[in-house]
Amino acid sequence: MSKNDTTAEANAPEPTPSTTSANAPVIDGAKLVRERRLTNAKKNWSLFRSDIPAMVGAIVLVFFVLIAIFAPLIAPASMLDVTKQLDVPRYAPPSLAHPLGTDDLGRELWVRILWGARVSILVGVAATVMSMVIGTVMGLAAGHFSGLFGAIVMRIIDFFIVLPSLLLAIVLSSVLERGVFTIVIAIGLTSWASTARIVRSQTLSVESRLYIERARILGAGHRHILFKHMLPAVMPLVLANTTLTVGSAIIAESTLSFLGLGDTSKESWGTILKNSMDISAATSGYWWYVLTPGIAILLVVLAFTMVGRAFEAIINPALRSR
Amino acid sequence: MTDLSFDKVSITYRSASARGDVTAVSDISLDLPTGATLGIAGESGSGKSTLIMSVLRLLPKSAQIDGQVSLGGKDIRDLSFGQIRAVRWAQASIVFQGALHSLNPVREVGGQIVEALEHHAKGTWTTPAKRRDRMFELLEEVDLDPSKAVAYPHELSGGQKQRIMIAMALACEPDIIIADEPTTALDVIVQKQILVGLAKLVAERGISLLMISHDLAVLSAVCENLAIMRYGRLVEYGPSDQVCLSPQEDYTKQLAGAFPQIGDAESRMNPRTLKPAEVRRAEPFTMTDEVVLEAKNLNVSFDTRQGRERAVRDVDLALHKAEILAVVGQSGSGKTTLARSLLGLQEVDSGSQMEFAGKALPKKAKALRTFRRQVQMILQDPSGSLNPKRSVYEAVVEGLRVQKITDNEYARVIGALEAAELTPAADYLESIPQELSGGQRQRVVIAGALALDPQVLIADEPVASLDASVRGEILSLFLALKKNLGMSALIITHDLGLAWNIADTVAVMKKGEIVEYGDVDTVLANPQHAYTQELLAAVPRLGSQSLVKHA
Repeated sequence: MSKNDTTAEANAPEPTPSTTSANAPVIDGAKLVRERRLTNAKKNWSLFRSDIPAMVGAIVLVFFVLIAIFAPLIAPASMLDVTKQLDVPRYAPPSLAHPLGTDDLGRELWVRILWGARVSILVGVAATVMSMVIGTVMGLAAGHFSGLFGAIVMRIIDFFIVLPSLLLAIVLSSVLERGVFTIVIAIGLTSWASTARIVRSQTLSVESRLYIERARILGAGHRHILFKHMLPAVMPLVLANTTLTVGSAIIAESTLSFLGLGDTSKESWGTILKNSMDISAATSGYWWYVLTPGIAILLVVLAFTMVGRAFEAIINPALRSR
Repeated sequence: MTDLSFDKVSITYRSASARGDVTAVSDISLDLPTGATLGIAGESGSGKSTLIMSVLRLLPKSAQIDGQVSLGGKDIRDLSFGQIRAVRWAQASIVFQGALHSLNPVREVGGQIVEALEHHAKGTWTTPAKRRDRMFELLEEVDLDPSKAVAYPHELSGGQKQRIMIAMALACEPDIIIADEPTTALDVIVQKQILVGLAKLVAERGISLLMISHDLAVLSAVCENLAIMRYGRLVEYGPSDQVCLSPQEDYTKQLAGAFPQIGDAESRMNPRTLKPAEVRRAEPFTMTDEVVLEAKNLNVSFDTRQGRERAVRDVDLALHKAEILAVVGQSGSGKTTLARSLLGLQEVDSGSQMEFAGKALPKKAKALRTFRRQVQMILQDPSGSLNPKRSVYEAVVEGLRVQKITDNEYARVIGALEAAELTPAADYLESIPQELSGGQRQRVVIAGALALDPQVLIADEPVASLDASVRGEILSLFLALKKNLGMSALIITHDLGLAWNIADTVAVMKKGEIVEYGDVDTVLANPQHAYTQELLAAVPRLGSQSLVKHA
């Protein structure tokens, strides 16, 4: 850079040297950012892979998701049709012919588990997504905006925290029209409060960092601070929380179905449990009727939890050695 | 009594990470006979804290110590856990670096002093009543009111907390006190009080003092002998005056020069550094009469539990084009509040007038955003001012995106980084803050402000958290920005030496008021107000154990 050049430039207060822009290679700043994120993702993936429980959990999850997706191919819907099972023995214990046994109407339990996985996992994931979205938005709002607005949002969160969520879900699903969607709403609306609390506390701590002050000095408004600084800061926490919440959402779905509040026309693990209860399977010695859906629920919830814990450890390295 | 000696001590941190084993201290031999005072100076990462932690075996398990650290003739490695516990506090005690964080926030400070006595009763303070008496005795020794015993840490000022820490260290009548940067976070006046108090106690009781700091002047004001450390090695060792006033090694000279002596013509407008920022203009800008930013009758008040507190009172200030104005004062004098109000970040009382380029400061969000293109602020702590997850490029480009300046984005970022002397700029674009040194981080923050082509930079303690050698670099950068771009700067600091180094004018603030305001040369050479004189007198001078002898 020559001396004359700078003198000319300094008159127009402009620190950007024109020489640099002239011979600068065409580099897209956004591309550099993407590349860095990709390497980060790769690093996190290798960390995840080295975590054995997480990998076991992931394999279990992939297995259940696959059987849920391909249920119609593996076991055609006709296998659930009671009228076509007349020659199948009822209450057949597990054997080679009936791998997981049959129920009171002669249906194969493994077919019911297959079809039940569709509703149970779908409801679990959908309800969790709903609860996470509400929780993140409310938590960010309560943490970022001080004053009356923040206080009101916080009181709403408190209201949902003290409310017994199962009770509210029961009321909601009995008031609303029956169906899978209703269950999703009932669970989603009642389980976001604790996420909101976590997000809020993280927001508060990030809010006091100097780089937020710096962004304000640069002229940033609420939108910039919320979306460029706050959201990326709380996202990892939310993601880790998601996998942990899916488990409880699946249990909540089973509970509601078990209580007969679900869509009775659709198979779900909770429905199978309810049917087994209706014919007092446990006391009649039909143990496979109770255990099979129970173990399915246990496996999926456990798998989600193990994956979630691994996510948590990747985000928060301090947890790794524990 | 107890002598402390390091004999060929090397300390290595074993690490499983990619960095491998890290040698923090290598081959250090030092002696601290009974009643002596020794200062160890060095920058961050020089291994000085690691060295003194080894005395009480407070290092983490991954640290491996070679050589011999002996206390009262015994190798500390031979002591059992019970014996080392007895040595801790009873024979040697530590005043930790972060006094602000070393106190338990939910307990009264008096109780925390008593706690040390309970653990090391030594047969003297056996009953609660005796311990209580001893606690009050200690408070008196460190010049604190006995009523402070029931105060919680947050109710005390930084200096008072530091004194509580010293009282705790003295509690069990140790033979050696180890002070780790005891005054770093404090302003000059409190620093002087603490140092004088510490020096007095040491002299009266014949305690040995081992003090570490990055500030040579502070050490030389108290200690007889000085050791200079760098990269874990001993660079120079000798009597304090000799090391400070006629240093043999280049590194010592650099450290000694980092903190200027006020009144020394050589360092006026010339911060000492090995890497001075380049002045590229044939005729550098100098201070003009054109007023850029002006405040008249500025008042800021806060509502507190005790009622309304006036943080800034009737301040009149004018910042001219290409002027560097230093606002100097103790912590709590309202300097930062003043700066925040000048940026429109702080609500001001009615009647206050602030003008930028002749127009009143805007109030609406949109107009404020445009205004902030012109006036930028650099915050105290560069590490905190950068989002740890975002790269240098993202940090610098943030302002441009917020201000919706979209043309030539890449060229502007490179230009700003080069103006902040972070070269070659392209190499740093992808770094994230944790990969940069403190000085580099501060340059990134400065570049982020420069990218918007502001006319005024407001900097809040820009070098307070940086090492001595980096300090000179950053200060010379401010000077170069003024000379090259005609930028005005308002720099907030508690350090009068900084004003002497780079400022054209200085405003001295006390309790929200400006008590003296004028040319640096006039004000610092011939201070009129008693408070300015007090501030000047509290600045530690190199050599001659000034605080001890003239206290």
